[in-house]
Amino acid sequence: MSAPTTSAARASTRPAAASRRPARRALRPGQVGKGLAVAGLLFFTLFPAYWMLVSALDAKAGASTSFVPADFTLDNFRFVLTDGGFATFLRNSLLVALATVLVSSFLALLASVAVARFRFRLRTQVLLLVLVVQMVPLEALVIPLFVQVRDLGLLGQLSGLIVVYVALALPFGIWMLRGFVAAVPVELEEAAYLDGASWGRMFRSILLPLVAPGLVATSIFSFITAWNEFVFALTLLGGEEQNYTVAIGLRSFFGQHSNDWGSIMAASTIITVPVMVFFILVQRRLAGGLTAGAVKG
Amino acid sequence: MSSTTTVTAPTGSGHQPGSVGGRLARKSVLARWRPWLLLAPALLVLAVLLLWPLIRMGMFSLQDYGLPEIVSGEANWIGLGNYTEALTSEQLRTVVLPNTVLFAIASVVCTVVFGTAVAVLLASLGRVWRVIVSSSIMAAWAMPAVTGTYVWVWIFDADRGVFNHVLQSLGLQDQPVNWFTDRWSFYAIVLLNIVHHGFPFVAVTVLAGLLGVPKELLEAAEIDGAGPWRRFFSVTVPQLRQVFAVVVILSTIWDFKVFAQVYLMPGGAGSNREVLNLGVWSYVESFGQNRYGFGSAIAVLLTVLLLLVTVVYVRTILKEEEL
Repeated sequence: MSAPTTSAARASTRPAAASRRPARRALRPGQVGKGLAVAGLLFFTLFPAYWMLVSALDAKAGASTSFVPADFTLDNFRFVLTDGGFATFLRNSLLVALATVLVSSFLALLASVAVARFRFRLRTQVLLLVLVVQMVPLEALVIPLFVQVRDLGLLGQLSGLIVVYVALALPFGIWMLRGFVAAVPVELEEAAYLDGASWGRMFRSILLPLVAPGLVATSIFSFITAWNEFVFALTLLGGEEQNYTVAIGLRSFFGQHSNDWGSIMAASTIITVPVMVFFILVQRRLAGGLTAGAVKG
Repeated sequence: MSSTTTVTAPTGSGHQPGSVGGRLARKSVLARWRPWLLLAPALLVLAVLLLWPLIRMGMFSLQDYGLPEIVSGEANWIGLGNYTEALTSEQLRTVVLPNTVLFAIASVVCTVVFGTAVAVLLASLGRVWRVIVSSSIMAAWAMPAVTGTYVWVWIFDADRGVFNHVLQSLGLQDQPVNWFTDRWSFYAIVLLNIVHHGFPFVAVTVLAGLLGVPKELLEAAEIDGAGPWRRFFSVTVPQLRQVFAVVVILSTIWDFKVFAQVYLMPGGAGSNREVLNLGVWSYVESFGQNRYGFGSAIAVLLTVLLLLVTVVYVRTILKEEEL
């Protein structure tokens, strides 16, 4: 998925670089404008993350305003992870996200093989269904799912949240994985059959290893979905603070009258870092998969 | 876009999997049912956790559904009462609908225009700077909605926020302003948050499309005397029509559903009735006032609105080719 994008990028940089060289002497104002645009863009995109980090590392966050930590400290992180109870929230989120990834990736893989490799009646309808359920607003689903989870007696428990997250991650997982499955040459499958392999053997030895990169990308996406989710955690976990995930655990640092911004930003940093690392790992593949899934079907 | 469309190329291999399936079908009954066996677990989960809840939401919306009904499980049908109340309420007409629809339009326009501008800028940069800038864009994209919103709230905080501080030290205002109480400045901050979080997807997608536009077309237009603006709007944009359609529609769907970015702002969770949008209104009425029936009716309205957009989206894709 990433290879064509990179080669296209490479192919286009070369003529661009060649045509820019003579232009550099002639078009000074243009170059300056472009430099300003880049500087402004970097400021706009990075300032929130930078400000979050600075406030997290500053013992005086909130007391004074400075653009580098005025009083450098790691105390905010220490407080958040020990007395703030954030270690528990992190463990909960990790548990929920990993369980969601395992279950939803497995189900999505099976389903995506079905829609990418077989032609059967109602196939288009199944695909349309998968596409349409992605558009349903979560705030609309939260009311009936709250009642449903309550009927199952799972309110306030992590298992209730996992069940819901699997359902939320599934449509996108199917939609993305089918592109990866379809990209595996059918000839390889046929060769396996000629060698006498059963369908199950072919699936394990040919399809699975070749789809693995796509599976990783999809898994990371489901992980991020579960890690970031807010509305359902807020509604389904209710008052069970020991079961809070990171997204709603943050709220415990908001005071009645004043907010402990140093702690809030330290906790936000802890939440954001894993997502950013994962995102950079898969961004190329994700962007390719998104557009391929969206446009190409 | 052509650079990515060649990747999966389902059209080229489209008929071949069919032939494999066809051959297997003759082999055994198991093989004929294999696609459905593979699909069954996923479809079951989707049916129980997404489709059935949607149907129940419709049923709740026709009832006076509060805490007693949740506990007893008894139905309390009141027909279309919830819908009449929602559709005739002053709240919907003057506050909620503008906050939802006008905000969605504003944020889609801003996100797409800004994202496209960034894509054009990226396409004109050398390799080193392109890597630097696109990495920083990724950082903005990866920021979770919850923490991102808190950071914006902190930046614009009335007492100790950096924004007020800078304005005051520049002498632009005498005393701190609470930006969250006024409806317009509240949504200006939400807009900033949404654009910051949403433009990377547009930029990356449009950039992929830009790199796929044949150089010959642009050169031919240049020889014909077209300036850079003319070349962009008369050559590049028509080539990217499909990309823009997808980007605009997906952004529209996302921006109608803005929830956490409003709910987590000061006053956004229902205490400031001026800043409610459809999603937050539905949530606040349900879980704040225990009026689950009325909240469901609002949720149905939001879903119908999104479904209309989705129909356009699906038709755009279907026009392109078979699924």
